[in-house]
Amino acid sequence: MTEVKLDRIGKKYGAVEAVQQFDLTIREGEFLVLLGPSGCGKSTTLRMIAGLESITSGDLTIGGARMNDVDPKDRGVAMVFQNYALYPHKSVFDNMAMALKLQKVPTAEIEERVGRTAELLGLTDYLQRKPAALSGGQRQRVAIGRAIVRTPKVFLFDEPLSNLDAKLRVKMRMELQELHDRLGATSVYVTHDQVEAMTLADRIVIMNGGVVAQVGTPREVYDHPADEFVAGFIGSPAMNFLDLARDDTGRWVSDCGNLALPALPADTGSRSRVRLGVRPEHIEVLPEAPGPAPLTYPARVLLAELLGADALLSLGIGETRLLVRVGGADHPVQGAHLAIRLNPAQLHVFDIDTGRALPRSAAEVPPR
Amino acid sequence: MTKRPRFGLYALVILSVVVSFLPIIWLVLTSLKTTEGIYAWPPQYLPDPFTLKNYINIFTNSPELLLYVLNSFIVALGCTVVALSFGGMAGYALSRLGMRRAGVLMVFILAVSMFPPVSLLPSLFQTFLNLGLLNTYTGLIIAHTGLFLPFTVWMLASYFATLPPEIEEAARMDGMGFFRIFWSIVIPLSWPGFVATGLIVFIFSWNEFPLALVLMTQNAMRTAPVGISLYPGEYAFPWETISTATVIAIVPVLIITAIFQKQIVGGLTAGAGK
Repeated sequence: MTEVKLDRIGKKYGAVEAVQQFDLTIREGEFLVLLGPSGCGKSTTLRMIAGLESITSGDLTIGGARMNDVDPKDRGVAMVFQNYALYPHKSVFDNMAMALKLQKVPTAEIEERVGRTAELLGLTDYLQRKPAALSGGQRQRVAIGRAIVRTPKVFLFDEPLSNLDAKLRVKMRMELQELHDRLGATSVYVTHDQVEAMTLADRIVIMNGGVVAQVGTPREVYDHPADEFVAGFIGSPAMNFLDLARDDTGRWVSDCGNLALPALPADTGSRSRVRLGVRPEHIEVLPEAPGPAPLTYPARVLLAELLGADALLSLGIGETRLLVRVGGADHPVQGAHLAIRLNPAQLHVFDIDTGRALPRSAAEVPPR
Repeated sequence: MTKRPRFGLYALVILSVVVSFLPIIWLVLTSLKTTEGIYAWPPQYLPDPFTLKNYINIFTNSPELLLYVLNSFIVALGCTVVALSFGGMAGYALSRLGMRRAGVLMVFILAVSMFPPVSLLPSLFQTFLNLGLLNTYTGLIIAHTGLFLPFTVWMLASYFATLPPEIEEAARMDGMGFFRIFWSIVIPLSWPGFVATGLIVFIFSWNEFPLALVLMTQNAMRTAPVGISLYPGEYAFPWETISTATVIAIVPVLIITAIFQKQIVGGLTAGAGK
């Protein structure tokens, strides 16, 4: 079984802790995505699994064997680099065959395996070319092929699509997905692109400042972000945040006073201030204020941006600004007056100081 | 719009080419003049009469010139090969293997190369005498290598630093050891750097005078610059012989430069990344 286990792994550069106490078990055949902004330690973690970076503390085991001090080539891992890192002076065939040649695999078998992989990736016609004579997408396929040929226990991907243009990226993303479905190998994939993370991952690890912020399925991290950072990082456009204070009557009121909620769907404890998070796609827009109704507020369109299928509205509710996603057809225009309605089930409540999400209350406000 | 500034640029380039080539052109012209033509007043600009007599004379009167050129060639080639081998490995280790204090070492290497070679002459001579390395190719190759190695290390180290590190990392993942990565990845990718550095070292060694003068005392072991410098006799300064010999001594360098300069310009890492 090729389970990859990271047991409180850490990496220090001098006094700087790039990765702290990374604790995770990557399951056999799982596609795990490490997601986070640049400098969050995701690449360092990947490179520690690969063996390109030494591990300062903790234990790494692959398939039950401790790998901390094992040479990269003996870890049974293969890596796909962001800038492909092909050998420019060698043909596509030689690029893909290199690892097998070094393992002294018989020539006939090398040809057979490279040929099969090239066929899988549609590279058969390019085997004799040099990388310089290939397009970006083809080069990345060669880089993936070089990894596949070795039949590694674990695939490591370091932002493999970020050098491609947007269109090609979507195509390659789908190819990667099909490839994983077909090969079923354990994969660890680093990206800062949340769309890649959401679409490819079985589980996502969101990292921030060298620390794991949350581990979960794409659904879980989207629906139940563990803290404010995850909530703001996952989802596009980002979640709206606004601070609420509890008034004398127990209502939660925004700083400008125009947004008041009778109750919050979370255990706020004795807190007198919390931060409310609501995604742009979870705010319902009504044509006109239907008179006083729960969780419904009048608003004005400050800015309307048509994206095509969708439109983004920047709404003003008193001094509070909220970004709302609506359908692109006949969307409200700038200056229009309308009303918004919040759904308690889709509200997130965070502690202002720690940023941690507050647990949903048992007695949740029933949805409308 | 853009034509006028480019015209100025071309003019500047042509001017600097003329200025730098004038001595060589004058040298070639002198070698094609008769003795009378050389001393004529007002000076002759073009040889009149044009003659190849000097070239014929030099090969009949002083055939050792070819030996000097051969000696220079052996020493320069040997020095280039040795300097590139050691400089390549040292430069790679210093720029890429994450050595501690690599920067300090690099500065130290540079500092060593700042000793004026003349100040080293007495001790070098004594040492080579004791080791029996005077008047040997090995001796002068070692001396020249020592002189030009710091330059080689610096040139190659900065070239290696421009290579994308991921290629070497990919090679590590594929299972190559450090030496293998150096041999089959770094050297092919750094070929333009090696050619450029090698050419410069070759020319340095070819032209080097003080060490070659002191360490090669037998006539049969002299290098071209030293040999040619000894042409002036007690009573005459044979311009035609010296210029002819110099032209002959330049030719091998020109040929080598012409062969290799195309390779310097190659963008060999194209296709490795995006």
